[in-house]
Amino acid sequence: MPVRPSRLPAALAGLGLAAALTGCAGTDEPVPAASSTSSSSSTSSSSSAPAAAGQRIEVTVTGGQVTGDTGRMPVPAGEHVTLVVTSDARDELHVHGYDLTCDLPPGTPTTVEFDATIPGVFEVELHDAGTLLLSLQVG
Amino acid sequence: MTLLAHGVGSRTDLPIPIGFALYGAGAAILASFAVLLLFWRTPRLGGSGSGRPLPAGLQRLLDGAPLRRGLQAAALLVAAFVVAVALWGPRETDRNLAPWVLYVTFWVGLVPLSLLLGPVARVANPLRLLHRGLRGFVPARPPGAARLPSLGLWPAAGSLLVFVWLELVHPDRAEPVTVAVFLLGYAVVHVGLALWFGEDWFAHGDGFEAYSTVIARLSPWGRRDGGRLVLRNPLANAIATPSQPGLAALVVVLLGSTAFDGLSRTVFWQTGPGSSDDTLSGTLGLLVMIAVVTALYVLGTRLSGRMAMQDPAIQPARYASTVIPITLGYTVAHYFSLLVLDGQTTWILASNPFGVDGLDLFGTYGNRLDLNAVSSDVIALVQVGAIILGHVIGVTLAHERALLSARRARASDQLPLVIVMVCFTLGGLGLLFGF
Repeated sequence: MPVRPSRLPAALAGLGLAAALTGCAGTDEPVPAASSTSSSSSTSSSSSAPAAAGQRIEVTVTGGQVTGDTGRMPVPAGEHVTLVVTSDARDELHVHGYDLTCDLPPGTPTTVEFDATIPGVFEVELHDAGTLLLSLQVG
Repeated sequence: MTLLAHGVGSRTDLPIPIGFALYGAGAAILASFAVLLLFWRTPRLGGSGSGRPLPAGLQRLLDGAPLRRGLQAAALLVAAFVVAVALWGPRETDRNLAPWVLYVTFWVGLVPLSLLLGPVARVANPLRLLHRGLRGFVPARPPGAARLPSLGLWPAAGSLLVFVWLELVHPDRAEPVTVAVFLLGYAVVHVGLALWFGEDWFAHGDGFEAYSTVIARLSPWGRRDGGRLVLRNPLANAIATPSQPGLAALVVVLLGSTAFDGLSRTVFWQTGPGSSDDTLSGTLGLLVMIAVVTALYVLGTRLSGRMAMQDPAIQPARYASTVIPITLGYTVAHYFSLLVLDGQTTWILASNPFGVDGLDLFGTYGNRLDLNAVSSDVIALVQVGAIILGHVIGVTLAHERALLSARRARASDQLPLVIVMVCFTLGGLGLLFGF
């Protein structure tokens, strides 16, 4: 069965990797919460170096309603993805498959960046509320 | 919470490329007419007497009580352990192996296991052992035994309908507690019914055992009428499936539920009828898909039967076994990636089932799920290949079945059923493509 060979340091290495991946690029940049159009905020935050290339996906959750890049978002395999989520309530972001999690402070745009190296369809959801934000279709 | 269409999992498959879908559709239609027009005109596959008998010693071992009770006891221990983990292990689905064992390793793994080894869920059914332990406390002649043959496989079809509803619709299906409640309830209900109907209840009513037995009809392991174990051509094995009331119902429940699973992954469903993602829409979606499959199947078999001037009572039961390969193709197409990718979770979590700090029995607890273990191209090839292969075998079996029913069966008589099979296959490919 698909169990990889057991190596003693695998546990430690795995945990280290997990910690590195789950650490999200928390943005405390003073982007006004009122900036509703995705184009304006994408240009404003392009100062953070590698985020300029790749695909930017932005969603806003207000009172349980999701707006922005919702639904099925196609992403070419290998693309650098910048996911920006703004929630009006405190919650935790979860990108399935890539297994990225990130705390979402209320009202603050929070950025998660990763390379889309795993093909498939993955749900991005709010962990506590269980709200589905979008599905990434990588491939 | 990890709630995907099939209960647990971190991913779903990409839509298959349009080229794959079109080639697959073309191949299915072409193969159907090739089978009808070019294949044999008299029955070719062996009947229930065919096959190469196993050595008598091997049969004594395989049919003997020590092996069966041993396997059943082992299965009972594993099941009890899974229930214990579900109740007292980590609360999060991601860290608790019980949902992964039930929905992925057991339910999906049962398919390749039964295809290779025969009806494993019957041989190792832990409920049979429980029943044996308890039947001393009830009258020797089970009161319901006489009614069982007329029920056929209808109870199993109902049992499977309950399970696929839990797997695909129930809002808390991925919660470990749900898994524990289901497994305990399943054991109580079926052991209780077996005490009423006798041990044969499990063959008629235990959905998992019936599922494994139906898939094993496409394995090389068969039995002659006298009980002799034989190795034979899986096609001959399938065509020798005894006609039982309810077999058709069981097959359409399986086919319809897999079709609903495929539907629920499409953008059409997620943004349209299923956008509310609640119990009502899921239940209706599941029932509608089963109803559509049933209507098509009944229509095709009845029309074929009428054109061949058969007694109307014969259909729709007569062709039920010919749809088994199509169901199997659907199942492989939808669950192959789940077993090889998310199925790794079971083996990772088995290293520390109760989430105790520092425990790592097999050194696998730190492993991360390798979702690149199989490429998306391979997945798409397996999906289309399974659907087409299932279709070709189904059409071939229907052809043979028609020739067995009437020696001079005309090819045109089979046309309605074959068209329905083409519909199933194009529908299956369409669901994989995501429309």
